[in-house]
Amino acid sequence: MSDLIQYLFNGLVVGSIFAIAAVGISLLYSVLRLVNFAAGDFLTLGAFITYFLSVTMELNFFLAVFISMLAGMGISWFLELVLWRNLRRNKAGTLALFLVATGVALMLRPIIQYFFGTETRKFNIDILKTYEFFGARIAHTQLLVLIFASASIITIALFISKARIGKDMRAYANNPGLAAVSGINVDRVVLATWLISGALGSLAGVFLGLVQGQFNNAMGESLLLSFFAAVVLGTIGDAYGALVGGFLLGLFTELSQLSIFFGGVPSNYKPVVAFTVLVLVLLFKPEGIFGYRARKV
Amino acid sequence: MSAFLQPGFWVFVLALAGIYGIFALGLQIQYGVGGIMNFGHVGMMAVSGYTIAVLVIKYQWSFWWAALLGVTLAALLGALLGLTTLRLSGDYFAIASIAFAEITRYWILNTDSVTGGTQGTLAIPNPLGFGGYTDQPDRILYWISDRLYPVFGDEASRDMSMIFIVWPFLFLFIWLSSRLQQTSWARVLRATREDDDVARSLGKNVFRFRLQALVIGAVFGGIAGVFWALQFALLAPEDFLRIVTFYGWMILILAGATRVKGLLVAAIFFGFLYGATRFLEFWPLSLLSSPERAYLRVFLIGLVIVLLMIKRPQGLFGKREEMVLE
Repeated sequence: MSDLIQYLFNGLVVGSIFAIAAVGISLLYSVLRLVNFAAGDFLTLGAFITYFLSVTMELNFFLAVFISMLAGMGISWFLELVLWRNLRRNKAGTLALFLVATGVALMLRPIIQYFFGTETRKFNIDILKTYEFFGARIAHTQLLVLIFASASIITIALFISKARIGKDMRAYANNPGLAAVSGINVDRVVLATWLISGALGSLAGVFLGLVQGQFNNAMGESLLLSFFAAVVLGTIGDAYGALVGGFLLGLFTELSQLSIFFGGVPSNYKPVVAFTVLVLVLLFKPEGIFGYRARKV
Repeated sequence: MSAFLQPGFWVFVLALAGIYGIFALGLQIQYGVGGIMNFGHVGMMAVSGYTIAVLVIKYQWSFWWAALLGVTLAALLGALLGLTTLRLSGDYFAIASIAFAEITRYWILNTDSVTGGTQGTLAIPNPLGFGGYTDQPDRILYWISDRLYPVFGDEASRDMSMIFIVWPFLFLFIWLSSRLQQTSWARVLRATREDDDVARSLGKNVFRFRLQALVIGAVFGGIAGVFWALQFALLAPEDFLRIVTFYGWMILILAGATRVKGLLVAAIFFGFLYGATRFLEFWPLSLLSSPERAYLRVFLIGLVIVLLMIKRPQGLFGKREEMVLE
């Protein structure tokens, strides 16, 4: 029983991070038809910038997170101006977008390594403090992440449904041509999407670093396919779906370790659980849990 | 600068170029002809390489039979990938193919008792207590380098012998694939790449054609894996990271996806990039440690891919009119 609560809680915490990472990827796909293979490295970058500001420069942690989110937005903006805008003008196809996103990922990784090294890092927040809850051990950092991640998720959901630019994004995603002729500023929508995904990437990276306790420069990249699994599970391009998919995937990967499932999946196979979910969803329900079979698959 | 002038450096570059040329040729058939975006190609290489290592070290198979089975298994993995996910549209398939390759790598990484786990093939448990698997082909390689000795003197090496084995195969495969691309089979595939429904309306089983292209490409990936295993004589899970697939893609888009001959130049360019970031010892490279060089390599490959897609999406040798990276 205490095992169940423990894994449920872990699943919720990891799931909330997956949700935040996934919603950024899903928004980008809905607006730009871009599968962002660089998303994982944006997480790593966010964690490292926060580490640099809060540990090396001894800034307030929350301020550090905020600046790192701004940095994530800045880099996304820069890439939009120098890369993505040109690619859109050239009517670049799926493969070109894939390869450029991958190329960006390949370039980001060495840059992170160059500035921050390959050592394992941790934030200066007590990761050993734990609480007891029905026999489950809940870390202080986990609780912190769950609270702030939930708040962020609610904010994102409200933003997409209520804010003007959020509505424009959904309109553009549904029908780019119609959105453009009805006076929606396309460049602004695209830029907003990049800024949101950049900020969310940094935020998710910090949360992930907190929950893992320590991290290195391979952190985000190694979870990229898990994020894709969450995105596909919640219907690719559906922002709300990505939030739900993130939570579901987090719960899946953690609960798969319970001994009632074939004696429990060993923890080093956790990523494989996510990959398997990804392949199974693609096989049996490629439109995801919220999709309908309209698109050609 | 010295290493740059040493023939040994260029021999390594050429050997590597040959292996990755075959690897990229697999992608070329899949994408250039079939329009299939396979981002998990490295999985085929991993399967054939590890099949050889495990069967030879653990079960004392002959290298040749192990190689044959390795390539067969790579083809089967390709078929499995295709049968399960090739009906998906392009972007979904690309993600699924990465997942396949990553699952393969995780299995290798975590099955120590068979594959040696993180420590690589040296750690494969075996009764003889020695983790090598290249004894049989090595005899041929040394036979060749003995014949090369009178001509090249001390430059005759195992790497040079590798060139004499790999490059004939590369030329053979390039010839075969250019013959293949003139067949009606390839024309149907090219038609499906442009428009599925037209090909389907002509009564062509689009899925079967694509599956065939995928499996043929996987065979080339598997063969590249055999040569890779032979060249380095040691395998570890981190040799088969996702990025290796993009080595192949870089070669392919550099060459232009439909250009068979550009592939040779692009493969040599890749071999040079790889070898230079590994061995060259002149400033500013000499300031970097070897892990830093590995990162420089990753950065440069990312840069080449991005610049190509922005500036010259048809590749160095492709024509813009028949650009397939639409």
